[in-house]
Amino acid sequence: MLYPTETSEAELLRIMLADDDQDDRFFFNKALHKLDLKYLLTTAEDGEQLMDFLNQNVQDLPHVLFLDLNMPRKNGSECLKEIRQNKLLETLPVIIYSTSLHRDIADELYKNGAHYYIKKCDFDPLLKIISKALKLLTINTLQPSRDNFILS
Amino acid sequence: MKTALSIAKNKLALQSREKGKRAAELIVANKKLAYQNKEKGKRAAELIIANKELAFQNKEKGKRAAELIVANKELAFQNKEKEKKAAKLIVANKELAYQNKEKGKRAAELIIANKELAFQNKEKGKRAAELIIANKELAFQNREKEKKAAKLIVANKELAFQNKEKGKRAAELIIANKELAFQNKEKGKRAAELIIANKELAYQNKEKEKRAAELLIANEDLTTFTYVSSHDLQEPLRKIKNFVTVLLAEEEKNLSPEGKNYLQRTNHIAKRMQDLIEDLLVYARAKSGDQKFEKTDLSKIVGEVIADYDETIKDKRAIISCNGFCFARIIRFQFSQVINNLIGNSLKFSKPKIQPEIQIKFEIKSGAEIKSKNKKTANFDALVPKINYCHMIYTDNGIGFDPQYKDRIFEVFQRLHSKEEFHGTGMGLAICKRIIENHKGIITADSELGKGSRFDVYFPIA
Repeated sequence: MLYPTETSEAELLRIMLADDDQDDRFFFNKALHKLDLKYLLTTAEDGEQLMDFLNQNVQDLPHVLFLDLNMPRKNGSECLKEIRQNKLLETLPVIIYSTSLHRDIADELYKNGAHYYIKKCDFDPLLKIISKALKLLTINTLQPSRDNFILS
Repeated sequence: MKTALSIAKNKLALQSREKGKRAAELIVANKKLAYQNKEKGKRAAELIIANKELAFQNKEKGKRAAELIVANKELAFQNKEKEKKAAKLIVANKELAYQNKEKGKRAAELIIANKELAFQNKEKGKRAAELIIANKELAFQNREKEKKAAKLIVANKELAFQNKEKGKRAAELIIANKELAFQNKEKGKRAAELIIANKELAYQNKEKEKRAAELLIANEDLTTFTYVSSHDLQEPLRKIKNFVTVLLAEEEKNLSPEGKNYLQRTNHIAKRMQDLIEDLLVYARAKSGDQKFEKTDLSKIVGEVIADYDETIKDKRAIISCNGFCFARIIRFQFSQVINNLIGNSLKFSKPKIQPEIQIKFEIKSGAEIKSKNKKTANFDALVPKINYCHMIYTDNGIGFDPQYKDRIFEVFQRLHSKEEFHGTGMGLAICKRIIENHKGIITADSELGKGSRFDVYFPIA
């Protein structure tokens, strides 16, 4: 279960976003704010920051990670591989959050253990998709079938 | 006594019988003597005659003895002569004896020589035997050679005949050769001219190749630029729209109605620019993107696109029919795009208050067949006569267009109506054309204002 049942800090939905784009971080936060959701958003501005944070908080990992692909220093694809190869991080649900969408790259990411793929879009549809992703993860934290990988 | 008496009696009888016989015999002897007497008389007569004869002979023998004495004297002389001759013969004899001896020596030598000759003879005999064998072999070889010679004679005759024919032919060839030599010379001159012309063409060709290579690079650059820029241009646009959305949502209370209107129009313009960039992206990707050709049932693609337009089709109560059957090697999503744009146009440019009707028909035709039916249009030259094409005939009953625009409608950003009348990017048919060309096909349009539109699409099935 991802949704906290109580509103105590320990039961807030801990969401992490790794994205180097300031505007996109802003819209993401705005979208979460619009959802009827008790959440705590942590953001990282590149892949290295993300991995450092995760490795320092293995006891208190976020419930879900939204991961941009094109980032400086360490890109999203590399981060995903590192997470899946680390015993302490491997169960963390990862949702790809990118401006581009290519079939081959999506296949590769699915193979490497990403749960869902969201293509950045206009604000209103984005809101709906983020909500959908979080609801799906509430039902099942396991990786879905390839057909249900890309959310739109 | 009686016996003695009988014996005497018998003796007397026998003596009597013997005296009788002796008397008979005496008579016969008497007679014989008489006969002999007579004969002796004859004989005496004969002897007298013989006596006379002998007397004559005696006389004759006297004469003869005289003659013999003469002859004797003669013989004595002859004897003397013979003695002389004998002496001579003794001398001659001695000579002969010497010669004899010599001949003996010579004979001995001859014997030796003879033996030698006999040996040589024998050797020669052996040699002769060998020679006979060799001879036989040679005789056999000879025969074989004769046979061969006979064949060669035949072959020779054949060759001689051919030779003669060739002789004739050679004569003809000489004449022909002279003619060719003349033509050759002429061609040589011509070739020299052509070499010069060729060099010129080669140079021009090279220049054109350079130019083509440059254009190719420029083209690729342009495509890449279009693709990359389209993608990157979308990002700030998305953000502009998002900020407008957030602004309208969060600052609604602080905005005047006019301010709200401006913001809504900004959003609308951003949306339009997004559409344009999206279409530009599709257009660029038609040649640079994923080129995965796969055997596809085209009517199935039509079905999928119809499903996408489900809502609009229901709204407008449109009728879409698809006839014929075609399997072709195509890029699925590109083809889907073509059908999507065509159906989208038909639904958009339908006549008001008239039920839209779209008919799609697939036929398979050879390149040659298509060419023969479209002789006037130059771009049909690109079709390969021998291969099979799918001919998609697409017709609708929409508003149509003036036929003078039938080429222009396929150009990028070409619109025949104002944005207020019909919104759109003016990219739809340009994308269709580019995709069909990417499939080595042709698309043409035909219409009259108010009489619907017809599109003919041809592309190879394999």
